Amino acid sequence: MADIRRNFTTITIVLIPVAIAINIAVGQLIYAAKIPLYLDTIGTILVGVLAGPWAGALTGLVSNLVWGLSGLNVTYAPFAAVAAIIGLLAGLFAEARWLRSWWKAILAGLITGLVAAAISAPISAYVWGGVTGSGTDVIVAMFRGFGLGVLPSTFAQGISSDPLDKAISFLLVWLIVRALPMRFLARFPGASKTTD
Amino acid sequence: MAEVFGLYKQRASFIHGLHPLTKLAVSGFFLLAGLSLPGMWSTYLLVIFGLLPLAFLSRLLLELVSRTGRIVLPFMISVFLIQGILWSGGTPLIEVGPISFKQEGVQFAIASSGRILIVVGSFLWFALTTRPDQLMLALAERGLPSSLSYLIVSSIQIVPRFQARANTILDAQRSRGLEIAGSIFQRARAVLPLVAPLILSSLIDVEERALAIEVRGFNYPGPKTSYREIAQAAWEPMLQRFLLLAMAGTLILSIVLRLVS
Repeated sequence: MADIRRNFTTITIVLIPVAIAINIAVGQLIYAAKIPLYLDTIGTILVGVLAGPWAGALTGLVSNLVWGLSGLNVTYAPFAAVAAIIGLLAGLFAEARWLRSWWKAILAGLITGLVAAAISAPISAYVWGGVTGSGTDVIVAMFRGFGLGVLPSTFAQGISSDPLDKAISFLLVWLIVRALPMRFLARFPGASKTTD
Repeated sequence: MAEVFGLYKQRASFIHGLHPLTKLAVSGFFLLAGLSLPGMWSTYLLVIFGLLPLAFLSRLLLELVSRTGRIVLPFMISVFLIQGILWSGGTPLIEVGPISFKQEGVQFAIASSGRILIVVGSFLWFALTTRPDQLMLALAERGLPSSLSYLIVSSIQIVPRFQARANTILDAQRSRGLEIAGSIFQRARAVLPLVAPLILSSLIDVEERALAIEVRGFNYPGPKTSYREIAQAAWEPMLQRFLLLAMAGTLILSIVLRLVS
């Protein structure tokens, strides 16, 4: 894992608030367009890939706190640790050069989604009683109806949405990195590991 | 400084004049006590005898109750329906035709609802009474790196600008004939033309911002002073320390109570 201080150059510190705003703006745009995805961690993944795992983790953590403090979605705040892990994993996958090919990026997204579902399930089960208060509760209800416990049902709900959502997010980040000018990318430590 | 800042609501109350760290310690105590204390009703006691009186003193009682209610109600309905009815192997409590509420499920739902209530309520109370920039200033005074407080404050400031930009892009692509209604596949095809311009255009000015803060001495290694200072009554540091002790005490008490029962 890279040196923590090398993750936090001035340009990274400026990138992080922009990434957080991307998370929130894209998340709300997708919600407004009624597309059944979240895509609210694209900024976090982007920082992880460009600036390293520690910067990615910090972006995720602060992102969920800002969702809460700005009053847009208070229920996100308890999941700050999950968002941090997503940013951390994005950074680690980029360091392992998985963001060079599109199919490895998708695979990295699927794995990140699985991990995210696994760590958010206990939080959701304990803090929120295992429900989301939205349409996806149908899935929780189905698995509870099959006789599964609270935690496994919550996990099943996560598995049904997180891996797909993160796979698409990682693929979008792969596309974005390719569309950015070389001059911009060269300012970040992760640039050499994501392009050919 | 009259502009709206996050959730913050200006009121002429004694609570609003308190030091941000005092309020952080209070809501931190509610959060920790609510999540750790055992028993179905402990969180409701915290809400009734702690949070609601504080909200009243902050002159935000109705604001807090309505905002909390809007967030918490869907969760409560879901949790009572799903965990109350579909609890496998529980003792039936109330029977309505073929379905029945199980005793264990309802107990679980009451405990969960209480936790949801205290988590959302104490967070909202804190956000409603505390300006984020003042919180960051207070944390910086206690040694939080200035780059971290820059991160949080500037995030909160640029989010509304980005939402405006997102709406502009949505309108622009629609006027070019982008379909965002229709089947799931049609809507999924709309993701890229919406997301890519937003992200690429926003990354372009990152470089300029970095230069702008660097020439203003962002990386200067010496001590930094602040234009504004946050007043704090003499008794507030004592209260903060007491609340930290109370948090530690509550945590130990909860562990002991769970081991005993």
